[in-house]
Amino acid sequence: MLARVAERLYWFARYVERTENTARLLLVQHQLVLDLPAAIQPGWGVMIDVLGAGEDFARSKLKPTEKNVVAFVFGDKSNPGSIMSCITYARENIRTTREVMPSELWERINSLYLSLVQRARSDLPRSNRHAVLNDVIQRCQQITGLLSGCMNHDDAYQFIVLGRNLERADMSTRIIDVGSAQLLGDDDETQPYRNALWISVLKSLSAYQMYRLNVRRNVKSHDVLAFLLHSAVFPRAVAHTLHEIQNCCVNLPNHKAALAVAKSSREHLLQVDLAGLRGDALHQFIDDIQLNLDQIHQQAAQTWFRIQAA
Amino acid sequence: MNNDKKATTAKKAAAGPMVNWGNYQPGAFYDELISSPGNARAVARGVVNAIGKFSEKQLASKQRAAEQAIQEMGISFTVYSEGENIDRSWPMDIIPRIIPMKEWRKVEQGLIQRLTALNMFINDVYNEQNIIKDGIFPASIIESSKDFLKPCMGIKPIHGVWAHICGSDLVRDKDGTIYVLEDNLRVPSGVSYMLENRAVTKRVLPQLFSKHNILPVDDYPSQLYDMLASLSPRKVQNPEVVVLTPGIHNSAYFEHAYLAQRMGAELVEGGDLVVGDDDCVYMKTIAGLERVDVIYRRVNDDFLDPEVFRPDSCLGVPGLFRAWKAGKVSLANAPGAGVADDKVVYTYVPQIIKYYLDEEPILPNVPSYLCVNDEHREYVLANIESMVVKPANESGGYGMLVGPASSKEECNKFRELIKKNPRNYMAQPTLSLSTAPTLCGGKIEPRHLDLRPFILQGEKHYVTAGGLTRVALRKGSLVVNSSQGGGSKDTWIIDTESE
Repeated sequence: MLARVAERLYWFARYVERTENTARLLLVQHQLVLDLPAAIQPGWGVMIDVLGAGEDFARSKLKPTEKNVVAFVFGDKSNPGSIMSCITYARENIRTTREVMPSELWERINSLYLSLVQRARSDLPRSNRHAVLNDVIQRCQQITGLLSGCMNHDDAYQFIVLGRNLERADMSTRIIDVGSAQLLGDDDETQPYRNALWISVLKSLSAYQMYRLNVRRNVKSHDVLAFLLHSAVFPRAVAHTLHEIQNCCVNLPNHKAALAVAKSSREHLLQVDLAGLRGDALHQFIDDIQLNLDQIHQQAAQTWFRIQAA
Repeated sequence: MNNDKKATTAKKAAAGPMVNWGNYQPGAFYDELISSPGNARAVARGVVNAIGKFSEKQLASKQRAAEQAIQEMGISFTVYSEGENIDRSWPMDIIPRIIPMKEWRKVEQGLIQRLTALNMFINDVYNEQNIIKDGIFPASIIESSKDFLKPCMGIKPIHGVWAHICGSDLVRDKDGTIYVLEDNLRVPSGVSYMLENRAVTKRVLPQLFSKHNILPVDDYPSQLYDMLASLSPRKVQNPEVVVLTPGIHNSAYFEHAYLAQRMGAELVEGGDLVVGDDDCVYMKTIAGLERVDVIYRRVNDDFLDPEVFRPDSCLGVPGLFRAWKAGKVSLANAPGAGVADDKVVYTYVPQIIKYYLDEEPILPNVPSYLCVNDEHREYVLANIESMVVKPANESGGYGMLVGPASSKEECNKFRELIKKNPRNYMAQPTLSLSTAPTLCGGKIEPRHLDLRPFILQGEKHYVTAGGLTRVALRKGSLVVNSSQGGGSKDTWIIDTESE
């Protein structure tokens, strides 16, 4: 298959996954705000930190109020990480690769795009926020399901799974990083609400119920970390995504270098003793994982996307 | 029994008025389906009768069903307007245009004859130039042609063929004669719409198909693939054939993707290809570089290779011309084939056919007057009000004058332009294009149309069964372009003899 087509499918999958993750993050934050007393509410600025959109937001010269942050993350086209932007990019990538995809895919992505164009005009008031974000999440899941059920699981599909899992790992590590920075400190004020906050971290990754099923204990910080980083069964756990990435690599040609990076990243992740990691050390560890994810991306791009003349 | 009857009557009343062919007035023009009010041509009788059994409402709902199918199937074309590209649904009228097979066989022969001669002409122009040495064709026309590419001199492509895919525009005049209006030898488009129109008609009017022997059209992609494969410089079982597109912003992108998909060929952009030091063309795949044998290019000559043509082009592939010249890759159509696409060259096609094939042309040209010729120019200047004046070196209907539709000032302006630069202009009498019944605002009315069949030439020839019928949807209009309010029709070649 053409290198360009592979690259576009990879990015298509990343953008759809990013859309779903961002929508869920907004939704959880929205619910958390409804739960907690005003004094200890995490500011809306946290959203901007998690999404790594600090520079773009600063450029807009807006205050991190609820209204501004929601509008910036949801419908702002000048924010390249907004839900609106992500779906626009996903659609652009698929427009030029339509001939290798099931025809329903274009209809789904197009209708999601058109619904967002409509909705992006409002700043998503609290009254319909839940319904709209849920709809976005569901439509993304529909697309993932459609591809899993109706597309040949050939090379093209491997690039989609590769993109999706790298994006998942990226978002999981971001949420863990920001969540633990807030929650592993010794701030007494948050003490009574820590449970609720940890639960919200799990929910941001759609992981709460799966955590309960798998861990069967109450929510405790290090159990949560272990689950989100090391679980071999939860699809959004970083270890699981790296396992999926390894599987994709094996199925693709010339995979030696890419597979090696994925493998060593997973080993590095699994070797660490999470109980011993606190504060800065945890932050540093998460940073290392993020660096590894970037290396996997670079190696994939070099192997499969940037083909040089002989 | 009684109740049933009542129900049927009630149903009919609710359905509203029936289609009444007696109201259809073809007027002074040749109508493709109706010979005189109330009388269908023999070949169209079955279709006309079947449509006559519909109510106007039913017919309108079938038209809506067709429009919905077109949307669902994603058949679109792109319109450029103020910097934005808009995808519009392809406009198609559900009443087919019908041609008897006997007549079509003759047209087919004429088209093959024409393309064969034109390819011999192009090959001659870029090599020995015998037609010029023998005094049949003036050298000055070649020298002043924008589409003559000097770098192509001395090249002999496989089979001696330069224009592998040709789309010729045919029109029918009042007396029923079919003329060739022009030959598109560069990158003709529209064939995907011909195929999709048939698919849509099969969906919405399946009942009409059982009654007739309609020649199928859907083997075009496999014919196209076979023709392209016959151009492969490497003698391998499955040569690598690719479709080169300028990209998503091109108005015919839908067609590029469609044809690639139907042929099972890769759809590539300039950036996907690279020419190696060995002069071979490679495409960049996830497994590395793969050699390409044949490129069906939908990129214009100018943009094909920045090393030889426009240096600012990023749509093409640096070194592509060198690879083609070295015989390491085939390009369809070959660069420079457009030299025979010139409106002045067009007027010489009857002589070209005679010179190379020693045959009389089977299909006539529209009578043309070259303004560079004194006698012709005098005639044009005297009769400009009834003529169509075209610039010789342009395509796409730019800078044209349609005499009968123009004011006195406009005609005089063109008189001056012709006197100033006679080489640049040619003129033709305004033809009375034929019409066919078309659904307009719920009623069936005559609308003008043309026909673009597609002719392939590689090792062998192939002509599409019919082609793309384009119809001017505005009353009285002769403009059939889809970007200017034109529509299309499915075209049926019906075999009446074996029925």
